[in-house]
Amino acid sequence: MRLKVASITVLLVALLLIPAGLAAQDTIKIGFFAPLTGFAAADGASALAGAQTAVDFINDAGGINGKPVELVYYDDGCKADEASSIARKLIERDKVVVGVSGSYSTPTRAAAGIFQAAGVPLISSYAVHPSITKAGDLVFRVGMDASTEGWAGAELVVKQLGAKEIAVLTIDNDFGVSLGEYFKERAEKFGGTIVFEKRYPLGESEFRDVLGSIKDEDPEILWASGYYAEAANIVSQAKELDIRCWIVGQEGYDSPKFVELSTDTSAYGTLIVTDLNRDSDREIVQSFLAEYCNRTGLDADMVGASAFDAVQVAAYGIENGGVTAEEIRDAINGIENFENAVTGPFYGFSERRVIKPITVQIIRNGEFHFFMEFTDPDIITPAP
Amino acid sequence: MIQNLLNAVVLGSTYSLIAIGLTMVYGILKILHIAHAGVYTLGAYIGLYALYAFDNNFWIALVLAMLATGIAGVLIYRGMYYYMLKESRIVPLISSIGLFIALQELFRLFAGPYQKAFPAKSGFPRVETSWFSLTSAQGLIIVLTAVSFLALYLIIGKTKIGLGWQVCEQDIDMAGAMGVNVNRSIALNFFISSMLAGAAGVLMALYRNSVYPTMGAMVSYKAFVVVVLGGFGNVTGCIVAGLLLAFVETFLGHLEWFEFPRDAIAFLVLISVLIFRPKGLFGRK
Repeated sequence: MRLKVASITVLLVALLLIPAGLAAQDTIKIGFFAPLTGFAAADGASALAGAQTAVDFINDAGGINGKPVELVYYDDGCKADEASSIARKLIERDKVVVGVSGSYSTPTRAAAGIFQAAGVPLISSYAVHPSITKAGDLVFRVGMDASTEGWAGAELVVKQLGAKEIAVLTIDNDFGVSLGEYFKERAEKFGGTIVFEKRYPLGESEFRDVLGSIKDEDPEILWASGYYAEAANIVSQAKELDIRCWIVGQEGYDSPKFVELSTDTSAYGTLIVTDLNRDSDREIVQSFLAEYCNRTGLDADMVGASAFDAVQVAAYGIENGGVTAEEIRDAINGIENFENAVTGPFYGFSERRVIKPITVQIIRNGEFHFFMEFTDPDIITPAP
Repeated sequence: MIQNLLNAVVLGSTYSLIAIGLTMVYGILKILHIAHAGVYTLGAYIGLYALYAFDNNFWIALVLAMLATGIAGVLIYRGMYYYMLKESRIVPLISSIGLFIALQELFRLFAGPYQKAFPAKSGFPRVETSWFSLTSAQGLIIVLTAVSFLALYLIIGKTKIGLGWQVCEQDIDMAGAMGVNVNRSIALNFFISSMLAGAAGVLMALYRNSVYPTMGAMVSYKAFVVVVLGGFGNVTGCIVAGLLLAFVETFLGHLEWFEFPRDAIAFLVLISVLIFRPKGLFGRK
């Protein structure tokens, strides 16, 4: 009996050890987590597809220093506690060299502290909360900062479109509130007036009442933060109520689903401040868009592109730094004009937050097209 | 003003349509049927795939969705609740929550996690006057909800089916002893209440132009507020409570300074009502 127990234990331990040992020699492991189930599953699926596309591109080009890259991924269900245990699993059992978050702010914040404490770098794709990169010197972000996105919105609305009377509709979470503060601050500095302002909760689908109030104010611009589902309802219902002002959105709108879910042509003419320029002639953008569509049957969105870029930056860090956390960190901090990013080029990092161009896209005939681009360092460098 | 009232009527109709099935099931079995929200989502998906198959015809989609959800409701009763009738009420409640979560993940596995548009063509006219405008979807919701409620009233008040339900509601064991076919009565109750949930799913999909696996999440709690407000098991109360909730939400939503989230308003209303009327607005003593 005792022998049996002992041999089973040995077998189990051996099973646990063998794959880790083998894999460590053959491949470079990048850890990844995203919400593959639950309410955020659509973004999780996009992020995973983006990350896998990046891994395929890297492996097709011969891997990192001749070694193939392996993406080890788990589902965090968009929960902080799941993300914490996944972070430990990726670090302790899978022994990943770098972690990439394809998840929202809450799970990413939970994981960031664990990665930092364990001395493994983590790169956040699109989670925006400022505290993520404040977890320590090993935590990076390749998505836009709330500050730059808000400032670019104000530049567009007041300086480029010349609107003075602005209605603001804010999604009531980390993302929307911090974005809204930066937007209002600059819009008012440029001489704009906020004539109406209201917050709404994530997942809201009924905007007719608040849009009715906005219509009474008759603003020149409606600046509304939110994700594509809320955004589709906002533009559809605005059209229904015959609100004719410009509607300006941001990266949350950046999905072909925005156009699909809005009724008829109500999304047409919407301006979107984002980081994915689909009309770009950079080769990496066009090959990513083609491969993403080929892989998923859907057109790419900002989330997929950001996860792609996070994996690319991770790979760059390993290739040009090494396998220790410090080497990878220094390599990423040293990035200048990084062309391998779809939402790039990345001009560099400021306190581990990316500096990159911000694009404005317009919906024309149901498709995202280039409207204008901001590269002024005063706009695109994240707030201290 | 009239526009706001109309918008509230549309919203309230959808709340009532979803909640009414819950209140019917509660009335007869005293079960909190959380999985009703899953049935609602199922209706939306069946409707969506029917649209794909039948050239975006809204009416075929509606009928197929109602039939399928009706059958699904009966299966949920016969496959699950039937075996729990003698257990503590907490057992069917937990099972129901489990089933709801499982259904959400099943929808995700079959249809993918993405929101899908609902490209239905109903041919229902858009009403446009100088006072208000009603989109085709809004008009459809008001008309179909009214028709459903009327039909339900006739069934409850004028048929043996309705009589059977009323008897079961009073005392289910006694009803059996008096010769009512209890199982058939309950199965019919599930069939009809689930059909209404299916119709609500299709109508909401049309109204919001989207179908997605977790679309039942709101239903799973807000509809319960409507049920409680209406007085458990009270069909008329449920309709009034749904409309009332929508009016309060629309009115408060219109105020710029009121930043409380819409879905929390339901609970605010619920708490204030329960303080004064613990049995709900229309609860029986």
